[in-house]
Amino acid sequence: MDLRVIESEEAELSIEIAGEDHTFMNVLKEALLETEGVGAATYDMNPEQSGGQTDPILTIKTEEDTAPLDALETAARNVRDKTDSFRTAFEAAA
Amino acid sequence: MSEDYEVEFIDRDERDARFVVRDITPAFANGIRRAIVSDVPTLSIDTVRVIENSSVMFDEQISLRLGLVPLTTPDDYDVGETATLALDVEGPDTAYSGDLVSADDRVEPADDNIPIIDLKYPEGADSPQRLEIEAEAVMDHGKSHAKHQGGVAVGYRHLQRIEVVGDAADWEDEPNILRGVIEDDGELVPTESFDHDLSKRYPGKEVEVHDVPNAFVFSIESDGSLPVSDLVLNAVDSLADRADELEQAVQL
Amino acid sequence: MSYKCSRCKRDVELDEYGGVRCPYCGHRVLLKERSRDIKEIDVH
Repeated sequence: MDLRVIESEEAELSIEIAGEDHTFMNVLKEALLETEGVGAATYDMNPEQSGGQTDPILTIKTEEDTAPLDALETAARNVRDKTDSFRTAFEAAA
Repeated sequence: MSEDYEVEFIDRDERDARFVVRDITPAFANGIRRAIVSDVPTLSIDTVRVIENSSVMFDEQISLRLGLVPLTTPDDYDVGETATLALDVEGPDTAYSGDLVSADDRVEPADDNIPIIDLKYPEGADSPQRLEIEAEAVMDHGKSHAKHQGGVAVGYRHLQRIEVVGDAADWEDEPNILRGVIEDDGELVPTESFDHDLSKRYPGKEVEVHDVPNAFVFSIESDGSLPVSDLVLNAVDSLADRADELEQAVQL
Repeated sequence: MSYKCSRCKRDVELDEYGGVRCPYCGHRVLLKERSRDIKEIDVH
């Protein structure tokens, strides 16, 4: 997973996440929207056929006193927590 | 922030399972579905060495068929690792997936009865048709080729709840078809138990169907390369790995 | 290149000057034999 910062400001971040697709990006986007201090989060992805930029670009806008990169880290941990608790619940039922 | 999910099985089989997950968001449910289809690696034949092929089909056609045979996938194989198989059948006979002989006895065709090709012993020919090959199966992801997809029918739909809103009019005797799983008094009822017809379960009643928010019924069918439970857990692990990777990448 | 005569079923070697003809029976229909090499196929 290679990250490439496209645009970085105090309350806004655009970052390319190489090698990922909707599978992970949509889960991550939702985790970001659940994260405190995040005002907006979205990602943009082009189809293979379009040529050019095909890796997803994640854009995060945060409210004051939240750094976008910190929000991203929190969201990543949040995804990890979701997978852990899903695994626990699934194994308990199976 | 941590969620607690609740999982309850409706049907449970190695090949085919149905379960309800509660308090799950649509995005996460879809992430799991997509990961099952494209990110859980399985073994599949990828290189074929044709020693003899006097059948009526081209080597490439037979190789494609061999590639599509689901192979049981042990959990200690990594992506890119290979396993060797061989097949040697002479006519008049049909070569089946079950004729594949594997060097690793944990890697075998998930089904023995998939026909590869019918071999003849043509009248007047001095020898029967024969297919002899050696093949390398490789571990790879569903997104690189559909033959590596472990899940063949993977989906989810909302769990539903039925609300009785009144009596049906006397002339109303048409069936009211619903497919899926409904929740009734905290009990999960697959619709096949009442022939998918709500008018049989609630005769003479007018009903409304509501989706239960954030409760999804997953329906997962495996091609036999991995049991359904492994498919689900491996998919969840692949999401977890990427979350870890991202967290570390951000910290740097 | 090895061929097989479609009439007398004998193996035939073609050379530059003989033309397409079975040297044993004169038949002009020859079938090409599959090479004995092992062919490796990448499955796509």
